[in-house]
Amino acid sequence: MAEEHNAEWYEKKFKPMIYLVGGVLIAGTIISFAADLMGIADKWGFSNAILFGLGVATVKASTVIYIFMHLKWDLKFKTISLTLLSTVLFFIGMMALTVGSENDYMKPGGEDSTWVHGKHVPTADENKTEEAPSN
Amino acid sequence: MEIPHNSTARPDTGLYNGKAGIWLFLASEVMLFGALFSAYLLLRVGAEPGNWSMGLMNKWVGAFNTLILIASSATVVLAWVSLKLKDWAGFKKWKIATVIFACMFLVVKWGYEWPAKFTHYDITFENDAAAKKVFAEVFDKKDYTDCEAAHKEIWEERYDAYNKHWKNVATKDKPLDGHIVGYWTADKDGTRHHHKVGAAFDVSFWSHAFAWRHDKRNKGRTAGGKRDTFDEKKIIAVDIEPAHGVWDKHKKHAAVIDRRYAEADDGKATDGGGTHNAVTIETSLISRVSSYEPAHSTFFAVYYTLTGLHALHVFGGILVMIYHLLPISRRMYESDPERFTNRIEIVGLFWHFVDLVWIFLFPILYLL
Repeated sequence: MAEEHNAEWYEKKFKPMIYLVGGVLIAGTIISFAADLMGIADKWGFSNAILFGLGVATVKASTVIYIFMHLKWDLKFKTISLTLLSTVLFFIGMMALTVGSENDYMKPGGEDSTWVHGKHVPTADENKTEEAPSN
Repeated sequence: MEIPHNSTARPDTGLYNGKAGIWLFLASEVMLFGALFSAYLLLRVGAEPGNWSMGLMNKWVGAFNTLILIASSATVVLAWVSLKLKDWAGFKKWKIATVIFACMFLVVKWGYEWPAKFTHYDITFENDAAAKKVFAEVFDKKDYTDCEAAHKEIWEERYDAYNKHWKNVATKDKPLDGHIVGYWTADKDGTRHHHKVGAAFDVSFWSHAFAWRHDKRNKGRTAGGKRDTFDEKKIIAVDIEPAHGVWDKHKKHAAVIDRRYAEADDGKATDGGGTHNAVTIETSLISRVSSYEPAHSTFFAVYYTLTGLHALHVFGGILVMIYHLLPISRRMYESDPERFTNRIEIVGLFWHFVDLVWIFLFPILYLL
């Protein structure tokens, strides 16, 4: 970290923080693993399970970035904060494009029949019957 | 010539150059892994029903590796703190601990987890009747309907985590998974011969990645044709040992203990405690055999890409950290301790990023 601290601060303040973050990371891992073993996806549904799992991962990641990577003390530097902001925006944008493109498959007002195994789902064009030419 | 701002902050950025550099590098890494994460998302959402085989992952191994990386993340920052406290011995202790944790991670990943997958195989069948015949044998039942409930439970656990597609996927496309422990050939007069696995290729059991190739669905699709082990070796049947802790856990449905043990050359019923039970499947009933290699499924292609790239980062980190334990680094520390401490901080930032990636890889590849 760019901010200067004395030896006492590292010994008495920063080291306990490291152990605390280590504990949070271990607890987060155990929580998400235990939740999976208990079958939260069955109980809460797929979307909620995803949200829960990624939520725990985000908390873990935040503690790593904030303390281990010293962002708590370094965020004031624009070189770091703007770089981080750009990457976060990039990541959100890319995920939005991915999820958005997936929604293209959904038919307005209808069920998502993209994958019906073993059964061909006719397209709108295929549903049209050819009219016999009239003379 | 002295390079400026190695240990002192630049007036415009407020940071020493290395630190500004590592943050820009990490930003590019976010883009790299971000692209892969978004590819994962797209492929997963669009996966064909019953084909997202993340149920085949060993969650305990994944959790163990997560804890190892967490520990390494703590020790790497403790190494840096030791330097801030002018404690070289402490630095060395924590750095060595980090290298050990990192090596443990790779040993588990490349030494155990991947090889274990390369020796596990999925078998799918030519038709539903063939599949039902084999599954009934696996569960030691005369009729498939007597074991359908157990089969459903196992299949959903391994291939259909959210229990939605049992009725949408044909029985022939629901794989039986396990080890190939033997095979059969026949003379022209029809006399059958049993062979231990390994004998055909003169390699050990654990070297059998990619050894068995058979995929009728892709026959003739590629120029020159794909290698087909059954054709090459004139194999007429294979012995499959269904995965332990999976197919043999339904003892209420299946009494598999007394099943013939296929690894025994002479067909003896016991070997190694009689825990390895196998079924013999005629190759004519099989549509595809695949180990859990990248070509197995979209899931495994993504899995190897993501974990392989991540493991390469771990490997690179190990090399740099070992360099920092060499005498040349000690000399730098003695001549310019501030600069050396900054180097350790930069490596630490990289290492935490490696940990961050795994923090997200673990739930999406193993749990969710």
